[in-house]
Amino acid sequence: MINPATLPLLVWLSPSFPVGAFAFSHGLEWAVEAGDIHDAESAGLWLSDLLQHGSGTSDCCTVALAWQAASAHDQERLHDLAELACAMQPSSERRLEATMQGQAFMLATLSSWSRPSLESLKPALADGVTYPVALGLVAASHEIPLAQTVSAFALSFVSNLVSALVRLGPLGQTDGQRVIAAMLPLIGTVSDGATKATLDDLGSCAFRSDIASMRHETQYTRLFRS
Amino acid sequence: MLDVISPSDPPPLKSQLPAYIRARGILSARLQDSGRGTRVFDLSEAGGYRLKFPHADPCEAMIVNTGGGMAGGDHLALSLSLGPQAVAVCSTQSAEKIYRAERDRAEITVTLTLDDAANLAWLPQETILFDGAQLHRKLTLDMAANATFMACETVVFGRSAMGETVHAASLVDQWDIRRNGKLVFAERVKITGDIQSLLDRPTIGAGARAIATMLYVAPDAEARLEEVRELLAPDDSAPVEWGASAWNGLLCIRAVSPEASALRRQTARFLNRFRQLPLPRVWQC
Repeated sequence: MINPATLPLLVWLSPSFPVGAFAFSHGLEWAVEAGDIHDAESAGLWLSDLLQHGSGTSDCCTVALAWQAASAHDQERLHDLAELACAMQPSSERRLEATMQGQAFMLATLSSWSRPSLESLKPALADGVTYPVALGLVAASHEIPLAQTVSAFALSFVSNLVSALVRLGPLGQTDGQRVIAAMLPLIGTVSDGATKATLDDLGSCAFRSDIASMRHETQYTRLFRS
Repeated sequence: MLDVISPSDPPPLKSQLPAYIRARGILSARLQDSGRGTRVFDLSEAGGYRLKFPHADPCEAMIVNTGGGMAGGDHLALSLSLGPQAVAVCSTQSAEKIYRAERDRAEITVTLTLDDAANLAWLPQETILFDGAQLHRKLTLDMAANATFMACETVVFGRSAMGETVHAASLVDQWDIRRNGKLVFAERVKITGDIQSLLDRPTIGAGARAIATMLYVAPDAEARLEEVRELLAPDDSAPVEWGASAWNGLLCIRAVSPEASALRRQTARFLNRFRQLPLPRVWQC
């Protein structure tokens, strides 16, 4: 049985939770247009690189660091992390993707899943909030264990992007599920590493993923906002 | 380009020296508008690094590493502050070579301050990472809201023209850009391990051997995005892949290329046109 304390994660990270995840492709729409992603194999390669070397690992570390700052009720640490996470976004659209979902997640949880500790830590987000920071904060205020929070986030990172690829065409539904299933071991390793992260672990080398999100801004026909 | 293909680099013997003779470079200067151009004040230099000011308009500050490269354990701390209305270009006399680290990483710390309406172009020549290199670089900039900052940093992973490959190395590159006290941009590049096979992966470099990041923070930064995209329009003869984006009062350009020399040529061409000023002489070779 799933630990009942972790059940809210299934709600918050489900596609029906109102954060607007369906509107963002994280630059994948350009990668498909440019031919970098054209089938299940190239999709799996791109997503596993993001998870190991790019925004995926950095976002998992951010969830963990936000969870720790919020658990320690450290306003200043949470504020600085939230500000850094906004400033680290590599392009205009990636910044929109991270902050719109972050704000939407805060709005939805403050109105339906509020807790006194969440209310009291809210001022730390005055200079902006990204989705991973919001999730780490909300999970900590609901006392959901760190490891489960990070691994559930990593899984939702992958499944949101697979869902975008299914809508974009290079993956069928079945192949999409295969990609997710094949990535479970990596999701475990990356999220396990992220729970021990320090600020120095934030970072990425997925240069062409960053470039893809920049190029997406001038893509002629687009389904997605990033 | 000579630095990238030069066959004359001596082997990094000093990497075998004990820690107490490691280079501890310190450079610091204050640049101020004197009414007849920007002049240098309070210059201090130590540990094998010099800051030269060739006659140029605008003012040029040229970083010279008399040790000819950095090995593990070497440090450089540079701080440069520009007073109100000061205008300067800071570059390096040669490409900075980062040699194999036996134990400790090489560290470069850059601290920049731009007062009201100051204008700094931070245009060092490329950093070349050799196999086994470990570099940790941290750039911190505090700028006034109406100041102008242009930066271009290029990293070359092994001199491929020399057949060199980088299979074990590490680069951590962090920039914190604060405008009016607020953190507006944070670069966090981290690439560690078998760099060549990482760079071969499509999400990372698709075979890139050199990367460049350019940042322009200025009151007109967002308004210049269209112009930048036109200047970067693909040139089929140059194997350079670019992206540009602008938000939050800044403009960021990222580029990757399998050829360091092509990236340097394209970057220099872009900077000349975008800045409407010739690059420092060291760039023109």
